[in-house]
Amino acid sequence: MQLMNPKNIRGALTIATCSLLGLNSAVADEENWEIDSAVLYYSETDRVTAIEPVINLKRNFDDEKALNLKLVFDLLTGASATGATPSDQVQTFTRPSGNGSYTTSSGETPLDDTFKDTRAALSAQWEQPLGRDYKTSVGSNVSKEYDYFSLGINGSLSRYFNQRNTTLTAGLSYANDTIEPEGDIPLELASMAINTGQARFEEEFNATRRGGDESKTTADLLLGVTQVIDRQTLMQLNYSFGQSDGYLTDPFKILSVVGNDGRAVDYVYESRPDSRTKHSLYWQTKHHFNQDIVDLSYRYMWDDWDITSHTFDLRYRWKLGHKHYLEPHFRYYMQSNADFYQRFLLDGQPLPEHASADYRLGELTGITLGLKYGMTLPNDHDLSLRLEYYQQSGEANANNAPGILSQQELFPDVDAVIVQFSYSF
Amino acid sequence: MKYIPVLLILFFTTAVLARDNIHQPAPAFTLAGIETPITLAQFKGKVVLLDFWASWCGPCRQSFPWMNAMQEKYQAHGLEILAINVDKERQLADEFLKKLPANFTIAFDPDGLVAAKYQLKAMPISFFIDRKGVIRQQHLGFHKNNVGSYEAGIRKLLRETTPREKP
Amino acid sequence: MTHKLLYIVLPTTLLIGGCANLGVQPWERDLLAKPEMQLIADPIEAALDDHIYFSKEASSGGRGFGGGGCGCN
Repeated sequence: MQLMNPKNIRGALTIATCSLLGLNSAVADEENWEIDSAVLYYSETDRVTAIEPVINLKRNFDDEKALNLKLVFDLLTGASATGATPSDQVQTFTRPSGNGSYTTSSGETPLDDTFKDTRAALSAQWEQPLGRDYKTSVGSNVSKEYDYFSLGINGSLSRYFNQRNTTLTAGLSYANDTIEPEGDIPLELASMAINTGQARFEEEFNATRRGGDESKTTADLLLGVTQVIDRQTLMQLNYSFGQSDGYLTDPFKILSVVGNDGRAVDYVYESRPDSRTKHSLYWQTKHHFNQDIVDLSYRYMWDDWDITSHTFDLRYRWKLGHKHYLEPHFRYYMQSNADFYQRFLLDGQPLPEHASADYRLGELTGITLGLKYGMTLPNDHDLSLRLEYYQQSGEANANNAPGILSQQELFPDVDAVIVQFSYSF
Repeated sequence: MKYIPVLLILFFTTAVLARDNIHQPAPAFTLAGIETPITLAQFKGKVVLLDFWASWCGPCRQSFPWMNAMQEKYQAHGLEILAINVDKERQLADEFLKKLPANFTIAFDPDGLVAAKYQLKAMPISFFIDRKGVIRQQHLGFHKNNVGSYEAGIRKLLRETTPREKP
Repeated sequence: MTHKLLYIVLPTTLLIGGCANLGVQPWERDLLAKPEMQLIADPIEAALDDHIYFSKEASSGGRGFGGGGCGCN
């Protein structure tokens, strides 16, 4: 019976973690540990499903110092749109690994269902004040999937002004990602080798490959100012700059090359530029009414791929008595397409330098509607449950869709359900 | 050149306005206590550790056990700890005191009037007031690493006795 | 692009300068100290959402940290 006591779970985790880190910590310091756990369930209709358990341990030390450790698992299954166009006939595609093929029925959006993947990510963050006027934070994160590895570091410095009513923050982060897909990196805009039983298929497939692995680096800078407006209101304004260099192409995405009748005569692997520069401006405000709290934010993003986006997010925490709350959530997102986004390529036209039919680079709108319920238990632990619905709809921007393509749904809506359960102790 | 006198006046004005309350007499006040009203004057002749705290102040959870220890150790020598609560809701202060009971005097300043008189620069904050009622030290925040120097400050003020009190 | 940057530099300088008047006294931060009044009230949820939208859209990040809170110590 003692083992089921949540306090003992926290104690056990404390001892385990401290042994791992070589720290000497008395279990009596339970007050200094905060443990947050959650499980996320994300499911698109007919497409991707993800389950993500998370656990976050925070150890508070004297004088406002703290260590944060987080472990996330990401279990993905399902199918994802490849970028190829639908047709009025059955289409056959070669799997990215080169091992086997899959077919798409008439009228269906081609989806590649080879993807079952598990990702594990670990991050550590240390924060502490520097004198009375500064606060600093440094951290590192690593994540691994079977074909992907990411390693990053970050640091930030905050300076207080006006009796801590104004805070200026500067943050930097740097990450290096390596991708090593099964089947190797495809040659950009090379034609997909289709297996119709020919003996030379393996050779043909290898000719569409250009190497075993690739990497990219991402550097981000954040400059922000947070201002207390009055006893009930807080505001933040941030400018972010991001630079990515290296292999930014998605090795699993393709484009259809269609003839005058709208049917595919060829499939080619996509190609993206090898650098991307992003800027964003983010504004957020929180206001405490008598009992309730409203949280409103807006982000404007622009980059050198010609994408601009607007994100508008609104939450209202409606307090039901002392220990419960209900929080409706509304998010509206809008983006323009990348300048190299093309729903399909036309046979006979010269191949462009870069092209992608990945719908996530297209012109789209996303709406999220959600509701979260939270409560504090008698033992002072917190739990919450949120249920959200996300719908993405887009424009293929293909007014010149030839032949049968003009009858096909080129940019179907994507609907997803998001469920998250959290428990903190 | 002719702006120098103006600048000097401005500089000294702001310098005067920005002065600390160190070496100033501690402003008088009367506040509600747990049972009876509390006035600063009732502690004349004692060394007073005047602390401002709130239920929402994390470091206060560390300062209370330390203040309990100091009160117990030095009360007989003339130390009185007076902790003024600035919560707007009395219930929040009571809940805090239930978890961290105090063996020292508590007073309530929900409208922040005494806090404003003392021009608090931080939370939590403590003022060390000598036997003559003069503020001698002010400590912004509560830092566990500094308890040694806090205690040394208390002892220094306790050693100062008024001529009338000498045996 | 430079004029877009001015949209952040100008308000920021105004904020730091003009904001000496905005704000509260140290003893009036009761509401701001509440966990639900932090800019990122639920870091786990924020990170999970960031990951979803990063995977499904072309934008990411922008949110910050620091500021607000009880201002203690």
